Amino acid sequence: MEFCSVSVFRTVARLALGTALSAGLAACSVQGYANTFSVPIGAPSAPAAEESTTQPQAQAAAVPLPFKGRLLDGNPKALPPAVAASLSNSSDIVFNYREELSHDHYTVPLALSAFDPLTYVGYPLGNYSVTAFASLGISQGDRVLGDYTAKVKLTREYTLYYQPTYIELEHAAKAAVRQKIDEQLYRDASRLAQAAAAGQGH
Amino acid sequence: MRGAIFLLCLTAAGCAVTGQPFQRQRAAANEAEIYLYRPYSYAGSLLRPPVVCGDSVARLGPGGYQVFKVQPGTVTCHTETEAADEVEFDTRPGGIYYLKEDIGWGVAIGHSHLYPMDSDKAQTEIQKCCVLEPGSIVEHQG
Repeated sequence: MEFCSVSVFRTVARLALGTALSAGLAACSVQGYANTFSVPIGAPSAPAAEESTTQPQAQAAAVPLPFKGRLLDGNPKALPPAVAASLSNSSDIVFNYREELSHDHYTVPLALSAFDPLTYVGYPLGNYSVTAFASLGISQGDRVLGDYTAKVKLTREYTLYYQPTYIELEHAAKAAVRQKIDEQLYRDASRLAQAAAAGQGH
Repeated sequence: MRGAIFLLCLTAAGCAVTGQPFQRQRAAANEAEIYLYRPYSYAGSLLRPPVVCGDSVARLGPGGYQVFKVQPGTVTCHTETEAADEVEFDTRPGGIYYLKEDIGWGVAIGHSHLYPMDSDKAQTEIQKCCVLEPGSIVEHQG
């Protein structure tokens, strides 16, 4: 009886060791697979390429503000479309635009998702989120004509079969926050135009 | 039996990266630095997908970190296994940025994820988790 239990124990121990070794060695083969299946690096992903073609269209459609201004702080290539369409270096009105991004992510613990059958039918394994914050100040000399802020948070979940990239989320968050600034500007356009005209009259 | 146990220990130990502990470098005035790090996780531990930032490629093991020195401007970092992930940094001269790599589940192979990190959180994490992995970075050809 004792001999039998010892022999069963040894068999189970051998099986467990064999499984663990196989898992370890299988991971090595996965590494080779990864290297051979990588597509050429630097090739643009489809959503990024799509976004770069839609951005200029949005900028072309932007309605300029009823006055021109020069950019004091900010990247001229990364502005709300209405501001970008209203730039002039000779103006005494100044735009001060800032944009900040913060990132966050959540991952379901691997030990949980591995044994969850929903994982294999496409249940989310985690998410990416990007928060974009933008501020635009418009001033003329010492007078502040307008001050606008906007915040947008975008979250995308990823699954076993679908993974968004951070870059597409960042571009979408930037576009959304710029659109919010534009909307505020258009709502306030008549007041801004009067204030700018009054400032030029002095 | 003992041989198998030894081999198992060797396999498990071989996954973790060894090297010098984290030491923040001072970025040159005319360039920016992107710290890429990968906290230890057994899942996908033998997977070292290439991470491309600017002109350089790094392949990190679990518990490793590496520094990319890049020209200021827009820098894209990209990785791909079965699925791709891509991150963009607007770098400034002398700026320091952090990027965390993580391997999650995939259908045939683990998916590589890149997370841009806030510097305070990243510095705490990188000091605890990671060592400099020598020889893991090369200039990208073409």
